[in-house]
Amino acid sequence: MSDNDTDDVRTDGSGTGIVSPDDETPAWSERKERTQGLSRLTYEYFERARREDQDLRQQSDYVERDVLAFPAWPHEMMRNIALTSFFVGMILFVAATLPPEMPNPANSSVTPAIILPDWYLYWSFGLLKLGPLNPDLSILGGSKLMADRTYGVLANVVVVGFVAIVPFLNKGSARRPVEQPFWAAVGMSGVIFSLTIAALSIKNLAPIAPHLLFDLTFLVPIISATITYAVLKTMREGYMFDLNRRYYRLRPPK
Amino acid sequence: MSLERKDEHDHKGWMESRELTPVESVYLTVLIWLDRRLRVVDYLEILEDLYYKVNMQMPKSHTEQYNLDNKFWYWYPLYALGSFSTVAYIVAAISGALLGFYYAPAAAAADGSPTVAYDSVMLIMGQLNLGYFLRSVHRWAAQIMVAAVFLHMLRVYFTGAYKEPRELNWLIGIVLISLTLVFGYTGYLLPWSQLSFWAGQIGVEMSLSIPLIGEWVAQLMFGGFTLSQATLQRMYILHVFFLPFITTAIIAVHIGIVWMQGIAEPH
Repeated sequence: MSDNDTDDVRTDGSGTGIVSPDDETPAWSERKERTQGLSRLTYEYFERARREDQDLRQQSDYVERDVLAFPAWPHEMMRNIALTSFFVGMILFVAATLPPEMPNPANSSVTPAIILPDWYLYWSFGLLKLGPLNPDLSILGGSKLMADRTYGVLANVVVVGFVAIVPFLNKGSARRPVEQPFWAAVGMSGVIFSLTIAALSIKNLAPIAPHLLFDLTFLVPIISATITYAVLKTMREGYMFDLNRRYYRLRPPK
Repeated sequence: MSLERKDEHDHKGWMESRELTPVESVYLTVLIWLDRRLRVVDYLEILEDLYYKVNMQMPKSHTEQYNLDNKFWYWYPLYALGSFSTVAYIVAAISGALLGFYYAPAAAAADGSPTVAYDSVMLIMGQLNLGYFLRSVHRWAAQIMVAAVFLHMLRVYFTGAYKEPRELNWLIGIVLISLTLVFGYTGYLLPWSQLSFWAGQIGVEMSLSIPLIGEWVAQLMFGGFTLSQATLQRMYILHVFFLPFITTAIIAVHIGIVWMQGIAEPH
């Protein structure tokens, strides 16, 4: 091998240093090209993607820089260590000042006055109490399609499912709330609803009539969504003016 | 071809022919030793590739490009919520592992008398040096993690950071937030106090009310239709075995994707 080392010696071009044992044996790139079906498609797509990457790098908004940003060591690392230890210290401080209490041992024959999960599950617990919204269907002779508690579990699934598909409903390049007042309003109503439904879940503790609380649970989010929408729509004009002014100052119209 | 071994590549001679510092020669000796056995050189290219991918030059961010940094600095604390929840997760993992040395998941009954689980928590809180503090740290780290995760989700929502190409990471985030809540729920049941018992009761009834598969889910998760020793045992194994592995793996994927795609700055 090393006897006939010349400048034009080539491996199969992929740079692995792997050489075919004879001329009959195909190189890796040839094998990839000869494949059929899905693997052929994969090969072709990867070739395309590689070319796309190459093009992207050559485009002007890929800026070649010697230093990407702050050097990782020590600047970035010291900042991270400082933030992390501050945060851990905060946890330790809160833990030292507000220790948890321990209720009585489990007793299945004594129902406590207050049955509650931890605070972060109040919203889910509240959704279990949506029985009054479970429709009586006249087609079923006034009976309900599903039991109230099934309805509550379904409500959980619906809420989580809706949050999950948000990226597939709200597309486009708008990022800030002012640029998309509708979705900001949806988000705001969601936040408020998670609070009101949490209040509903502890309705036996809330100093407010249960029916009123139930109505407010749905009214307050709608009202706050409306207010958010109105405020953002109003802000939007001034905001767009500023943005356009800055944009056209940087890139004057031809 | 003869079976006699021919050492064409006299690495030792090559090393001696060069003037190496002790550090260099030790390094080369180790490298050659490893390479003779594992053929590291075949993977060097992959490592190199990985190195350059990790240190990839990113395009200028929008804020950099239009010099908007002075307009946005006050947003930046909101961008730390993800790492805060990770830090809280790590604190909870460490303190939880320490608590696990003393906790025993055994519930003899639910008749108002202290069970083994309850007693071991009482022992941690009453007898163990710094035990009360340890439990407090674990609990608060969990609470703060949940809060940080919720706020992190709100930040991502209101800055539109879930949009293309980050939809997949949003979905992974939904899975992670659910796992966090399940983590909290299973942990809430472990002391086997009144609150734990009745929260468990709600859980059993919730799973029983799922159509078609309800009873199966109740059996799988709670070990029966009434709360018993099996329930506590399952909650314990979920809390200290399944969830930690699953959640840690998914967190790694989540952060890895953020690393690959970069932070979505507001623009």
